Amino acid sequence: MTMPLAKLRKYFEQVGYICDENTVLTVYLALDLQKPLLIEGAPGVGKTEMGKVLAEILQTDLIRLQCYEGLDETKALYEWNYQRQLLRIQMNRALEQEQINEEDLFSDQYLLERPLLKAIRCEKTAVLLIDEIDKCDPEFEAFLFEVLSDFQVSIPELGTIPAKQIPVVVLTSNNERELSDGLKRRCLYLYLDFPDVEKEVRIIRAKVPGIAERLAWETARVVALLRRQQDLRKKPSIAETLDWARALVSLNRSRLDGKMVADTLNLLLKTRADQQLFRQEIGVEGIERALSQSGNDGEINGCR
Amino acid sequence: MPLTEKITEQHLEENMATFVGLLRQEGLPVGTTEMIDALLALQKIDLSSRGAFKTALQATLVKNRRDRLVFDRLFDLFFVPAELHRHRAEETILQQEELTRRLEQANLELQFKGEALELSMGELQQYSLLSAEQRSRLQDFVQKTESGNNIEPQFRPILEMIVKSHLRYCRGQDELKSRGGPAAGGAGSGGDGNDYLREIDIEMIAASDLPAAELLLQRLSRKLAVRILRRRRIGPRSGPLDLRRSMRDNMRFGGIIFNLKHKPKRRSKQQILLLCDLSASMKRYSTFVIHFLHGLHEVVRDLSCFSFSDSLEDLTAELKGHTNIKQLLDRVIRRSKTWGGGTDIGSALYLLSEKHPDRVNAKTTVIVVSDTKTVALEKAVKELKRLKDRVRRVIWLNPLPDGRWSDYRSVGLVADQVEMWPCSTIDQLEEVLAGRL
Repeated sequence: MTMPLAKLRKYFEQVGYICDENTVLTVYLALDLQKPLLIEGAPGVGKTEMGKVLAEILQTDLIRLQCYEGLDETKALYEWNYQRQLLRIQMNRALEQEQINEEDLFSDQYLLERPLLKAIRCEKTAVLLIDEIDKCDPEFEAFLFEVLSDFQVSIPELGTIPAKQIPVVVLTSNNERELSDGLKRRCLYLYLDFPDVEKEVRIIRAKVPGIAERLAWETARVVALLRRQQDLRKKPSIAETLDWARALVSLNRSRLDGKMVADTLNLLLKTRADQQLFRQEIGVEGIERALSQSGNDGEINGCR
Repeated sequence: MPLTEKITEQHLEENMATFVGLLRQEGLPVGTTEMIDALLALQKIDLSSRGAFKTALQATLVKNRRDRLVFDRLFDLFFVPAELHRHRAEETILQQEELTRRLEQANLELQFKGEALELSMGELQQYSLLSAEQRSRLQDFVQKTESGNNIEPQFRPILEMIVKSHLRYCRGQDELKSRGGPAAGGAGSGGDGNDYLREIDIEMIAASDLPAAELLLQRLSRKLAVRILRRRRIGPRSGPLDLRRSMRDNMRFGGIIFNLKHKPKRRSKQQILLLCDLSASMKRYSTFVIHFLHGLHEVVRDLSCFSFSDSLEDLTAELKGHTNIKQLLDRVIRRSKTWGGGTDIGSALYLLSEKHPDRVNAKTTVIVVSDTKTVALEKAVKELKRLKDRVRRVIWLNPLPDGRWSDYRSVGLVADQVEMWPCSTIDQLEEVLAGRL
């Protein structure tokens, strides 16, 4: 599915997915070259969102395959509807009808489509989101090769089914384990990092209507400060930043202070260890200091 | 070569092949498919934009965040803007002369037994770029090694390996500095920037890099915990019969049971007993192993930790529930009676068996971190044999380079009793523990 680069950039802005030129260009190339796009990055940087956004931009269906250990082709590709097949056999026997053919039993009406087959057989180009590919087993990863390189699947009883329309494939990985070279070779690669403060402010303002500009800046500054703590078990994601910003808006806040951050910390840091670390390493004073520094730098005041 | 010239001369394919060759030389797994993808991508973009050109190559040729550093460096060197290219050509001649002089100097400074060490041009160049202090430290190291006792000419390859490893380490640091350090990658930084520490001898890691190394250990141990948990879940079918899944699976045969399905076998978590030598030469290695194993607490049901030097100290209770291991270990080290003292492995093993019999049973895997240097070697071997018979497994992690093991009688005697693995780098540590837990 091709689309001019400028148009794609504009669509990203329209749907509120704030990203840099590097990201837009890589997505453009993936669409134009009809190659799967493998996105890696820390949890919560907008990898899954990319699949959703692409479906929205291309005005097509999003078919999602959530990966987990033990995922196999019966859950990802197809399964025969055994209950229905059995019923058919029993009915034939009970009604003493003539013998049924094997072809009848293994036909389309007994086939249960799973996400991969659904994407391949879709009449209109669909967006296939294979989420958290690093969580599935290496065997399943190898099984995906056929879909990702030839856009076709093989079902023993039916033969090879080529894609009616080549789907837009987005794979995401949290980098929990190294993916195979074979899989990577078939994909274009994009690494998404956490946004810098300025970009995060744009995201907050796009997704949280009604937020005061100063509050948006302060929120982004505090989140960036937390993310700089290398010892955190889980750094706050963009989604958590947005939840926090929404919470602050609903509390009628127009600016932040250290106490407010400490009181609402559980929206950002979700383990006891991380909260302890915050109290030890940053604390209310640290937040106050960071907020006053950013105010002095003119970063906040300058944009009011 | 300037980018614009390349395009007008229609030598793009040749240049791409050369560039891909360079990436391959640096160890990036770039195949023909990737190169074709890159050329196709270049047809789709505005070639006059350097940023777009770089992004297109990056998306098609680099499939790993770690490789991005190498790609960026090579890209900046290979695809140079026209003006800069002319300027560089003039500079190159001057630099070449300076480089020749420096390499000759480097060859003179790094000598073992009167002969220059066998280092590549790149390594000599890296050496010449070090600060005077760093160069002098490395020279000191080579000279001390040369003047040590029982130094045979065969020791040369080991020395060369250590020097090369150190130079690689320095290069990694330089690359990191030139990009503003690990924390400078925006607010985020996924944390892969400290991977260059993996291959360095743990003892050689600079104090300023220790926090980064600890983070790396944490990250690796979490990854390993996930891998171990998965491997166990996938493990062989030997749990109880799963009737529901069996019925469902055999529906296709008209309800006749052909295939039996089993529930996964429940496996108890391992009990690990860590026995760390805290003598002066071993404290850094021991600290790293404790860090690493502490991160595995999800898969290790019961992690006991003892330190020893001339006696035995139980650290288990203090390790539990602590998130800041460094802080804890610093405290333990300050008050420890044994830290930095001599080593008596035999006594430590004896005390372990006698005073803590509940921790030493058939379910326990004992991991010993020690270079085997001890007083009363025979007693140590005897106690080790006794311990081995009581526990599930004994794994000995030895930070001495394996090429030098044959130089020490104690290593041979211990290795006859238990399995021994080298663990002088983070990479080795990860490999040993990943394969054996």
